Amino acid sequence: MFLQLLINGIIMGSVYSLVSLGFALVYNTTRTFHIAYAVLYMFSPYMFLTFYNNLNIGLFPALLISILLTMILSLIIELFVYKPLEKKNSSSTVIMISSIAVTTIVINVIALFYGNETKILNPNISGSLSLGNIIITYTQLTQFVVSVFLIVLFLLLLKFSSLGLKARAMRDSNLLCNIFGMNIEIFRIVLFALSGFFVAIGGFLIAYDVGMDPYVGMPMLLNAVVALIIGGVGKFEGAVIGGFIIGILQSLAVWMFSSSWESAVTFVLLIIFLIFRPQGILGEKQRKV
Amino acid sequence: MNYFLHIIIMINIYVILTVSSNLLIGMTNLLSLGQAAFYGIGAYIAVLCLMILHLPLIPTILLVMIVTALFSLLLALPSLRLKGDYFVLATLGFQLIVFTVLYNWVSLTRGPYGVSGIPAPKLFGFIEISGVLPFLILSSILALFTIWIFYKLINSPFGRVLKGVREDEISVLSIGRSVTNYKIMVFVISSAFIGIAGFLYASYVTYIDPTSFTLDESIFILSALLIGGLGNIKGPVVGSIFVIVLPELLRFVGMPNSIAANMRQIIYGLALLLLMRYRPQGIAGVYKVK
Amino acid sequence: MDNGVILKIDDLTKSFTRNIVNVRGEAENERFNIIDKLDLEIVKGKITALIGGNGAGKTTLFNIISQFVNADSGNIEYYHGDETTSLLKLQPDKIYRKGIGRLFQDNHIFLDMTVTENMLIADDNRFGEKPFLSLFKSKKNNEIEKNRIEKMEGIFIKLFGENNEFWEKRNDLARSLSYGQQRLLGLARIFMSKYKIVLLDEPTAGVNPKIINKICAIIRKMPQKDGLTVLLIEHNMKVVENVADWCCFMSDGKITAVGSSKDVIGNPDVRKTYLGI
Repeated sequence: MFLQLLINGIIMGSVYSLVSLGFALVYNTTRTFHIAYAVLYMFSPYMFLTFYNNLNIGLFPALLISILLTMILSLIIELFVYKPLEKKNSSSTVIMISSIAVTTIVINVIALFYGNETKILNPNISGSLSLGNIIITYTQLTQFVVSVFLIVLFLLLLKFSSLGLKARAMRDSNLLCNIFGMNIEIFRIVLFALSGFFVAIGGFLIAYDVGMDPYVGMPMLLNAVVALIIGGVGKFEGAVIGGFIIGILQSLAVWMFSSSWESAVTFVLLIIFLIFRPQGILGEKQRKV
Repeated sequence: MNYFLHIIIMINIYVILTVSSNLLIGMTNLLSLGQAAFYGIGAYIAVLCLMILHLPLIPTILLVMIVTALFSLLLALPSLRLKGDYFVLATLGFQLIVFTVLYNWVSLTRGPYGVSGIPAPKLFGFIEISGVLPFLILSSILALFTIWIFYKLINSPFGRVLKGVREDEISVLSIGRSVTNYKIMVFVISSAFIGIAGFLYASYVTYIDPTSFTLDESIFILSALLIGGLGNIKGPVVGSIFVIVLPELLRFVGMPNSIAANMRQIIYGLALLLLMRYRPQGIAGVYKVK
Repeated sequence: MDNGVILKIDDLTKSFTRNIVNVRGEAENERFNIIDKLDLEIVKGKITALIGGNGAGKTTLFNIISQFVNADSGNIEYYHGDETTSLLKLQPDKIYRKGIGRLFQDNHIFLDMTVTENMLIADDNRFGEKPFLSLFKSKKNNEIEKNRIEKMEGIFIKLFGENNEFWEKRNDLARSLSYGQQRLLGLARIFMSKYKIVLLDEPTAGVNPKIINKICAIIRKMPQKDGLTVLLIEHNMKVVENVADWCCFMSDGKITAVGSSKDVIGNPDVRKTYLGI
């Protein structure tokens, strides 16, 4: 029983890690507290709903279009909301409020067109395979394989390309990057596109399993950010570790209480880490002033 | 006629919500997404007082304030030491958790079924306050009381220290004032008054359920405050009037009810975006969000 | 203590990590001690200058004394009245309440508050700063506010003369003052509270010579007020000679020369390392 819960948790955790990485791509580098990321998570499955279920386009084309549209939305938010504010040197509070405003707009536009109820993407019950006492559905298998594949790909990219160095440089100083000839605007576009790519896939993977409504983004945002904090802010590997931890703990909690208490688990974890180990598992202590 | 009185009652409730939130967000620069959680806690505690404890009006209000304040301490103590981004996150988590509890702990709160038939509060134990006119009087008194208290707070040495915390925390520490203590005081005071708004809502509408106290509502309260403006009393009042009256105007223009709620949020979202970009002090505020 | 020491710093060490690029061109973290087993005694009632090159750790030392930054090891003892307090592990606002004032390198006054608000907020009488006192005792509150304003007027007159511009501009935003005036305001603010020692971080940096003279005059007045001790970081040697009785030279995280200003500035090692002469 425990092993089943653990496996479930690891599989869920892999998707959480993927989603958290997408957030980290923006936060670790540009320090933007990208609350609007929550709607990107929800946007991709709704696009899939439109193209696959409503317009009857094939599954893979519909998926591709959804991912693309989500990436475009991500870029729109960057280019029309964040970038102009950054140019004006607005404070992070102003940017955060603008991000919240975008979130409200998109959630309500979606609710306007699709309604508030939960939508199901896949009405069939997925087949499953069993290993001994453990049952893993094919959907779960897909979630795990795709997520891990993308995570590993990303970590390799981080290690062997200039992406990691540029990301760290950007976090430390925009000015220095400019001096060394790195084009910040283009790099930001790459980051937001990649972020949109990850969250689109993550959003789809979970929505295909359990459906979605316009409000699923916010609890998932909480998961993603807490994963980041637990693992260690500023380190992409941290986001990955954090995602798995949250997945496993939520799985155990769901068994002990019920699925509606998931957010409670995440919140308690957040408070514990913020009080006792704010730098996360992998992080280093920061200067205060 | 009743319709207009009803509008004014709702404005009064939101004046209390926004004027209180201003102390937190406008005077001390603590962006919080948890207002609806305290609004809801206030409402449900009011139900406890009115339906189970059968308390008269004034003890109800006092108990609501105290309990809401205690809950806010629960959130404030761990999260106020955190810097901006993380503080917002903690309030987001708190908001989600409170909603989860209100929605799922059915034996305690009747969950999604809500609580109906909330009895009228009784002033001194026998003067029943029910119906539009009495609530107009009660809500106006409470709103004016809130305005008086917060006006005095803002324009006192206490308010001056809050402005300092808003401007430059290090400078405040360097003159020996504890920034964290002030943040805690602000959090507790504003939450207590938000609780009063919850009491008013519960006893006026006589039916509450968790869906009135979601993150969406927090963002709505935030929008009202930011659109009206921060840092003074006029701003929140203007903002409250704006966000309550606008949907009614939309209805006159013929917008169907089913899309009205969503359209309202979309309009406020757009208004916020434009304001943050071009006029961060809102319509009538004095503090430009920094 | 009888020999008049007010602050005793023992064996203080603080290390930072910085990112460097090593010989192979890879990014690496290097740990270095910005403050390295530093010992220093500050004598009560004197004006002591702390000089040294940029990055020598002077501001970090101030930040540790004010406890904005934690030291890794060592101790700082503060002797005030009959008490001795170890400053390490105290919260910054407690440090200031124990009588240790501070002027920051980047000023840190409230730019979007008026001159009056900037001064009044620093008063050591905190009546009215708890939320509900101002509601219930408004008559007493108004009286005390009036006293504060009078105190501010007195300070402006004492420091800047009878017809000073600060009193005239008292309802203007601090932002509207020139940089030099802002610096003077930061200094004036210190007089609203009773401190025993003040740490001034480059008080004359970036201001024109006329204001430098005003600042020197103010600093010279400080020990006369109840024996206020001054510790100041300065790069301007003329100011140091003008104002400071005592001088310490800091380099490589340690105090390597101590003495009268004339002696230290005349010290050949100091001249070579720091003054480049």
